[in-house]
Amino acid sequence: MPSARCSMLDRADQPGTATPADPTGELRPVAFRGAGFAPKASRRAGWIALALVIALWQVAGSAGWVNPLFLPAPLSIARAIYQLALSGALWQHLSYSIMRIGAGWILGTIAGVIIGFSIGLSSLARGVGITFISALFPIPKIALLPLLILWLGIGEEPKIATIALGVFFSTAISVYSGVDAVPRNLIRMAQSFNVPFHAIVRRVIWPGALPSILAGFRITASIALLLVVSAEMIGAEFGIGAFVLQAGNLMQTDQLLAGVVILSLFGLAVGKLINMLEVRLLHWR
Amino acid sequence: MKGWARLAVAGLLAVGAAGIARADDALKAKVGVLRLSSSAPVFIAQDKGYFKDAGLDVDLKFFDAAQPIAVATASGDVDFGVTAFTAGLYNLAGKGVLKVIGGMSREKAGFPLIGYFASNNAYAAGLKTPKDLAGKRIAVTQVGSSFHYSLGLLADKYGFKLSDMKVLPLQSLSNAAAALKGETVDAALLPVSTARKLMDDHGAKLLGWVGDETPWQLGAVFASPKTLANKALVTKLLGALQRADREYHDVILAQVKDGDAPVNETTKPLLEIIAKYTNLPVEQVVGNCAYVDSDGRLDVRNVANQINWLQGQGFVDKGFDADAIIAKDYVKPD
Repeated sequence: MPSARCSMLDRADQPGTATPADPTGELRPVAFRGAGFAPKASRRAGWIALALVIALWQVAGSAGWVNPLFLPAPLSIARAIYQLALSGALWQHLSYSIMRIGAGWILGTIAGVIIGFSIGLSSLARGVGITFISALFPIPKIALLPLLILWLGIGEEPKIATIALGVFFSTAISVYSGVDAVPRNLIRMAQSFNVPFHAIVRRVIWPGALPSILAGFRITASIALLLVVSAEMIGAEFGIGAFVLQAGNLMQTDQLLAGVVILSLFGLAVGKLINMLEVRLLHWR
Repeated sequence: MKGWARLAVAGLLAVGAAGIARADDALKAKVGVLRLSSSAPVFIAQDKGYFKDAGLDVDLKFFDAAQPIAVATASGDVDFGVTAFTAGLYNLAGKGVLKVIGGMSREKAGFPLIGYFASNNAYAAGLKTPKDLAGKRIAVTQVGSSFHYSLGLLADKYGFKLSDMKVLPLQSLSNAAAALKGETVDAALLPVSTARKLMDDHGAKLLGWVGDETPWQLGAVFASPKTLANKALVTKLLGALQRADREYHDVILAQVKDGDAPVNETTKPLLEIIAKYTNLPVEQVVGNCAYVDSDGRLDVRNVANQINWLQGQGFVDKGFDADAIIAKDYVKPD
């Protein structure tokens, strides 16, 4: 259906097919309309909106409109972060969390890319893999924590495994849908020219699937950040997740939000990193 | 639009009028509790109609952890909370949004509630008594929880430091039980209700009960300052609770031997009430009877000690003491 509409529009564009609404046959000049919607990310608007919201929040806090216990003001959150940084605990928490997130994400991504490519390229792997992914993906990882503790103890292994598991499924799905989306005629053409299999994968399928894989990375990086809190439920002494949990347990709401702010700053940094990766790897687009 | 507004106003008035009309009959109160036997008097007072006798219409709201009860009481979602003291509760109370109005369960010698449990391997390697816990890896649920404080009391009693033990917060009882069974920790503090299955499966060894080692005031009744302003409501609720406290104490607790309550014609009706509200069979309720003072008294000295300890550990904000969070008009000190 969309292709039919497309071809009709194509024809309408051609000169000679006079517009039937104009019986005189005269051509009427029409202003250019088809500019499309092109939202441009304005650098300043986002920051100004953020600053306004924070300012309003602070005013609400200092004017006493909201109980500071239920919603601590930005200044007290900033103070909590500052004290955390001053005591040196912040770096300790961050380094533990970065280690866990990094190790879990890399392991999950490597496994996900391999499985995703196998599903995209082999029918056997596709049948088996998609069944398993569909069956296992929706299992909440937190529900498995007692089992993970029984299997892997309470050291670093279950924490990294929790993150790796969460990252693996999303990566596998985005990789195989990326492989599926590579234009078939490009692959057929390469096959017709007798290009060897490994070269087709490396030169045609990999670059074709890369945009979707990188979009997947953007999601899995956030998943890894989400899961660090669940992972650090397992007897973690240090880590941003452990810090957030402890603040919640002790009802120290300013500390709790300080931890949340640190997590979201971390998310922003990772997002920027992936932007840079996209610019580098997808410059051909 | 205007019609709707009128309708809404009329509706509100009707509801308000109904509220006023009923206020003569019974004061309404929402009480937040856990489904644990440590709240047994609340269940007895509700089931035997002691609240109704006192002119109260009590609605029990069940929670699955102590902390949310404290938060819900502070936010006004429930009028009264009955649960264990935690660092989170003290932090709320220190900000003036909660006050303690009466005592509830206690750790007391002869009444098993929280126990020290060793993994099979650690037990075989010589961890036989609570005193041996120094230098071990011990699972608790949360930082600043009743379990954590119990370890602090134990350390004080035997003259070692809390930092001599490696305390691992695993966030839930099932995680702590799994870590103990999987031999990844040497010991764990668990309530008897969670530990019973582990002991029956030979997944862990009992080292002792907290009540025998270090008795302390575990739970309390508390309310927000807004509720406290309604003096009639608070007095009636505490009166009904004390009636249940006394009955529970004199009928069940007085007969407890070796940690178990006997099932006979006097105890059975009460045990069945507790079983009904805790969703446990009567056979499990008998070994799980938390001590409650017969007059609902509060061990004020111990509460002060808890606050001191938690402040010393940095879990509770400094700058307030027990006097600031106890409603003196209502609390009967021990």
